[in-house]
Amino acid sequence: MVQKKCVAMLLAGGQGSRLGALTRYIAKPAVSFGGKYRIIDFPLSNCTNSGIETVGVLTQYQPLVLHSYIGIGAAWDLDRSNGGVTVLPPYAETSGVKWYKGTASAIYENINYLKQYNPEYVLILSGDHIYKMDYSKMLDYHIEKDADVSISVIEVPWDEASRFGIMNTNMNLDIIEFEEKPKTPKSNLASMGIYIFNWSVLRTFLEIDDNNPESSNDFGKDIIPLLLEENKKVVAYPFKGYWKDVGTVKSLWEANMDILKEETELDLYDRDWRIYSVNPNQPPQYISPTAQVEESLVNEGCIVKGTIKHSVLFQGVTVEEGSVIQDSVIMPNARIGKNVVIEKAIIAEGMVVEDHAIIRPEKNKDDVILVAKED
Amino acid sequence: MSQSMLGIINATQELDAFQNLTAHRSIAALPFAGRYRLIDFMLSNMVNSGITSVAIFTGHGVRSLMDHLGCGQQWDLDRKRDGLFVFTPDGKSKNEEFGSFTHLAKNITFFLRSRQKYVVITNSNIIGTINFSSVLEHHIKAEANITEIVHHGETLHTYILEKELLLSLFEQYKNQGYYSILDVVNEQLDKIKIERYECKDYIVTINSLESYYKHSMDMLKKEAYYQVFTKDEPVFTKVKDEPPTRYKMGAKVSNSLIANGCMIQGEVENCIISRAVKIGKGAIVRNSIIMQKTQIEDNCVLDGVIIDKDVKIESGVKLTGTRETPYVVEKGTVQKGS
Repeated sequence: MVQKKCVAMLLAGGQGSRLGALTRYIAKPAVSFGGKYRIIDFPLSNCTNSGIETVGVLTQYQPLVLHSYIGIGAAWDLDRSNGGVTVLPPYAETSGVKWYKGTASAIYENINYLKQYNPEYVLILSGDHIYKMDYSKMLDYHIEKDADVSISVIEVPWDEASRFGIMNTNMNLDIIEFEEKPKTPKSNLASMGIYIFNWSVLRTFLEIDDNNPESSNDFGKDIIPLLLEENKKVVAYPFKGYWKDVGTVKSLWEANMDILKEETELDLYDRDWRIYSVNPNQPPQYISPTAQVEESLVNEGCIVKGTIKHSVLFQGVTVEEGSVIQDSVIMPNARIGKNVVIEKAIIAEGMVVEDHAIIRPEKNKDDVILVAKED
Repeated sequence: MSQSMLGIINATQELDAFQNLTAHRSIAALPFAGRYRLIDFMLSNMVNSGITSVAIFTGHGVRSLMDHLGCGQQWDLDRKRDGLFVFTPDGKSKNEEFGSFTHLAKNITFFLRSRQKYVVITNSNIIGTINFSSVLEHHIKAEANITEIVHHGETLHTYILEKELLLSLFEQYKNQGYYSILDVVNEQLDKIKIERYECKDYIVTINSLESYYKHSMDMLKKEAYYQVFTKDEPVFTKVKDEPPTRYKMGAKVSNSLIANGCMIQGEVENCIISRAVKIGKGAIVRNSIIMQKTQIEDNCVLDGVIIDKDVKIESGVKLTGTRETPYVVEKGTVQKGS
């Protein structure tokens, strides 16, 4: 193998259990977002746009949809003869199957994948977040700071800081302490779960962690504190821009509503930073004479005969006459009958909503309704 | 059985009536239905019929077509065995020969090397769904030598015949430069049994500006739309990775086919809108075909126009054409406001 400067490891094995029925049969990175994407399109497109063309994708929970979606990586231009995408599920050894216990052990189990490229740097990513980021700038920063590890951080509102992994830094943005969900946060710099490691440092610390039976084998809980204990240079890389962990039905809905804003921070129309996805090969959308569509995103293959206000329609959705959809997200190939009312809801992929159905939260309730197959 | 068909698409048609729209591209590469090029329909028909080896014979202007076809990956034709073959004319080719036996025979090696038993010959300017496996089944059952595919009795210049027969026709007519399969069918020779296969679904041939406009507008009709875009036989095309289309506050869209990546703020009625088109506030666009990346600024009024790619219509411009003679705006131009 030709040596690579930087190899990315994308952690895509998470269940996203708080997404309920949406992740019953698919892993969280495969969840639909933004009218045509799956969450994993964002980190994969970021890699391509940042010039990182070697990406190991670590899968575990419900991998079927994710594996067939990633394929050989052609959708993201990651079908390369040297490097490209490699899907890395757990595997069996003579001692038995080694499931990925934590984020760190998932990488450690694939140490041979990294060894074959012998990179200078390893970029660790999560397949759970929606954001656009130039990893090459973070790598430049990492090199300039002469760091052992760089962790991308984002300022979160102080009153929400206790929900995140918080990095306490000195004036130079050197990380001096890491606190997972602190009750009284000392900083509002939250970890984005994006790390750049010097390969030699990563290798050493993964080995130490693996030898510790007490460890939960997690980057945040185990590896980062250990690095700080050993006085390694761990620096924070401040990121500004849109970043969202769509961990719950509500936050997934919010993220979809965010892109409907007139001045959205997440510009999907930027030709210099395209978000790539697998093409569903459907004809253009048809908007009928009875339709009314405003403040919405509509994808190919949709047939719209009803009223769509401030909503997101994925590919292949049909909406019949007399139906009114407002503040909602309709996922791929869902069929909405006649005279239906849908407000503040997520309708999952392939669902059929019968004529005259009314789907909306009870008055004065701040819920988002999820309509998905329950079994 | 599908393994045994070879697909030949004649993509040489260039007609004067299209001048403004085809000055820089062949008819095969003419945008259609918002996201396709004309050739996508026949190419997808072949692929959906299980044909794995397709040869496209082009005319002289091929840049746009070649850019679109690439190495055939969008049609799953980037194969080690078989795949997509594009034959451009050599320096000596005359326009008059295009589509003739002489023209095809220039690449006789392709026919000799292929292992398929049958050949499908068609044109690149036909829109509609044809299942060639069904046609072949009919051809074999009827024990025909040549099966001609027709629509309402009109020829679609689309034929199935055995490769051996085609090769012998090459030999027989090698001195008659302009002779094509159509002439053989019309001659009704005793030795050759001609069978006709009637396609009942929506099928049209685009051969004039008028027919281009008319049939583009057909796509707004339910019957045509569902017969051209079926669930089981998708039309494949080059992927552009455009985001979904954004309808802004004030958008009023009715009876229109709209591709991805557009930003719409104005009024759109009875239109075909291609990818990444911008339609400004207060603009009214009716009965029109707007191609890729064209920008229509605020308060424009357009009716019965065909606007090619990358055009900028400055704010307040009014353009009107008719069904019979749509007003055509050339690629890459700017229509200045007053």
